[in-house]
Amino acid sequence: MNQTHPSGRLPAWLLWSLVTIVLWGTWGFVSKIASAGMDAYVNQVLYTAGLVPLMVFVAWTVHRSGSHESKEIRRVGVFWAFLTGILGGVGNIFFFQAMVVGGKASVVAPVTALFPMVTVFLAMTFLHERLGRTQWFGLLLAFIAIFLLSA
Amino acid sequence: MHLWLAFAIAALVLWGITGVTQKLSTNRISSERSFLWFCWAMVALTAAILVVTRPGWKLGSLVVICSVAGGALNGLGAWTSFRALESGGKASIVISLIALYPLLTIVLAVAFLGERLTWMQSAGAVVAIAAAILLSIETPAGTQESANVSN
Repeated sequence: MNQTHPSGRLPAWLLWSLVTIVLWGTWGFVSKIASAGMDAYVNQVLYTAGLVPLMVFVAWTVHRSGSHESKEIRRVGVFWAFLTGILGGVGNIFFFQAMVVGGKASVVAPVTALFPMVTVFLAMTFLHERLGRTQWFGLLLAFIAIFLLSA
Repeated sequence: MHLWLAFAIAALVLWGITGVTQKLSTNRISSERSFLWFCWAMVALTAAILVVTRPGWKLGSLVVICSVAGGALNGLGAWTSFRALESGGKASIVISLIALYPLLTIVLAVAFLGERLTWMQSAGAVVAIAAAILLSIETPAGTQESANVSN
């Protein structure tokens, strides 16, 4: 795949991906600093405060675009989105707590970044999705990584 | 098992589940609406934390800034990852690329927090990132995207 446009500029998808790496990579770093001075619950409360401006922006875009789904489909979709938020938020609390009890950001971040191994396992079990050879190898590496990182 | 590792694995499991619930949501509603309800769930969780734990608020300004910035960085990262996917990037490449984000956390933590990794942990970090990339690669048999708004 070409990494640049004929004009020499980065394609938009690559630029957004790199920005995402910077944002999420920095999040792990600032979370460790925050964890030095507050417990995991307070961290989650302030984290949510940081989400609010983006939430307002997204609410505006959702309001502007209207809804195209039926009421029933939207209700189910909203249920799963809400559950995602609750699970994600509780996951955040555990992430912060790992740092509060002394986990290094440089180790906790790569361990928690292995979350796709659970997603893949659940998708295989409950959504009957099949794994390719690459993902089986990824699962094996994930277990090896946890062993090495916990050493 | 180290206590930090137990918490990190708990976060990994919960975030991994969100990979499935997020997909169940975005199969029905737009990513923006899904993100909005994800945020509402974070607000609800925050309200529950404030009522149940009654956290203390004697906090330094640096940790407060880092915590609030953490929410903004993580939320913006989720938004930019959606933009990357919507800008024509192939999901398997975009999500695999984004899985590199812990590398930046490691660099920042080593450079600014003075964290040091043992050679086994360094190897583990490299293997973890490789694992996250491999797990994120979609196969023709059909897997799921592992982008996660909570991490």
